[in-house]
Amino acid sequence: MPEPGITKIDVGDGAAIPTPDDKGLVSAWWIALTGAVVLLVLLPWLKPDPYLNILRFVPDGIVVTFQVTVFSITLAIVIGLLTGLGRISRNRFVNLAASLYVEVVRGIPLLVQLFYIYYALGRFVRVPDMLAAVIAMAFCYGAYMGEVFRAGIKSIDHGQTEAALSLGFNQRQTMAYVILPQAWRTILPPVGNEFIALLKDTSLVSILAVADILRRGREYASESFNYFETYTMIALIYLLITLILSKLISIMEHRLSHYERR
Amino acid sequence: MFNKLCTTLLVLLALCGPAVAETTIVFATDATWPPMEFVNDQKQVVGYSIAFMTAAGKEAGFTPVFKNTAWDGIFAGLAAKKYDAVVSSVSITEERKKTMDFSEPYFTVRQALIVDKSSTAKSLADLKGQKVGGQIGTTGYFAIKAAPGVEAKSYDEVGLAMEDLNVGRIAAVVCDDPVAANYALDKYKDKLKIAAIIESGEAENYGVAVNKGNTETLALINKGIAAVKAKGLDKELKKKWIGQ
Repeated sequence: MPEPGITKIDVGDGAAIPTPDDKGLVSAWWIALTGAVVLLVLLPWLKPDPYLNILRFVPDGIVVTFQVTVFSITLAIVIGLLTGLGRISRNRFVNLAASLYVEVVRGIPLLVQLFYIYYALGRFVRVPDMLAAVIAMAFCYGAYMGEVFRAGIKSIDHGQTEAALSLGFNQRQTMAYVILPQAWRTILPPVGNEFIALLKDTSLVSILAVADILRRGREYASESFNYFETYTMIALIYLLITLILSKLISIMEHRLSHYERR
Repeated sequence: MFNKLCTTLLVLLALCGPAVAETTIVFATDATWPPMEFVNDQKQVVGYSIAFMTAAGKEAGFTPVFKNTAWDGIFAGLAAKKYDAVVSSVSITEERKKTMDFSEPYFTVRQALIVDKSSTAKSLADLKGQKVGGQIGTTGYFAIKAAPGVEAKSYDEVGLAMEDLNVGRIAAVVCDDPVAANYALDKYKDKLKIAAIIESGEAENYGVAVNKGNTETLALINKGIAAVKAKGLDKELKKKWIGQ
């Protein structure tokens, strides 16, 4: 219910998007999680062929998906931090370079970038497949991450910078000791969301013959012709992973917002 | 006036006549498998299989329509009745026979092992512990998977596997011999070579796949294939597209 005097735009019916302190069991998240878990247990139990066989075939793909995701996000955070700082830099050249990178990356679809880095650059530099996938993902997500960092740094009141400078900190110290430690609170939740988005986008690396969850599923389906069953399991596995991750992130968000409420 | 209308209608009917009488069969093909089926520089789907089916259509009285479809999922599309048949260098295997029906064989292939020119490997057994690529869901890929100690790597298209072999990310590629020849003796002739033909014991034949029980389509296609073979047209086509 909208409180008097505050204009509130409700997205959906409200029940589908629970607030972090929602303890109710009947939320979309709980229904989705229960459904995914029940199906992932029930289907292989009732019909081991093909469901259990699929579950046996896919696990190393889950490992690969997580490897690509974790390495990519780590590299993307580093690139993002540098880009974010570059984008607010007063140095003309640095600023231009960072902005150019963001513009170029945002203008090329991720799938095209993956093909480009893997096959086009493969002609000049010999990079192993996994590394090529990680570089491509990080290169793309680094640009998005850069915007997250820039927004986070900008969200800290300019008075803080002025105060730090007047206390004798130089620009670098101000950024490292005053601004960034505070900006982290604003930056972390969107970084978490990018992590989930990246995890889902890693399914694109299956075109580079990287044996992730989707690739393993496709290999299984192409041999057994159980397309319906295989992709059902693949979808459920992805759903389960992202549901758990999104809950973790909303918990983290909740913890972080604790500071603001005090 | 009425007479005129009638005449016009009759003329129209006469014009449509032959087109209606002839059956159209929609074939799905993954046109990334030169020289059997591929897209030429005029963006047309061409190749040996395509020419063969067009000739078969002329003999048996059906109009073939070719639909370029990604290999991965080509059989799922057939099961979903998105097209009538698959003519995409499909080797007839016992596994595949369980889910679909096959026409009479129209081509015989063997699996070829392609390696870098500098490589000394002569068989899959020489490549233990190394990565070998093939197109997903093909008999070539199944051969790699069946080889003990070899790390199998599946690609969406055989061309992508060849490129990975070219830049050195994998040690070898296994695919049908006409395709292997097309890449190793033509496109990448300075870089790659055919190391060996993998003997699997049984001859591997290409057939046209249709849904189980689609006897009508299958009969037409079989009739066409038999007529093309009887007339010796297949030899001409082989000369033109494969060069043997």
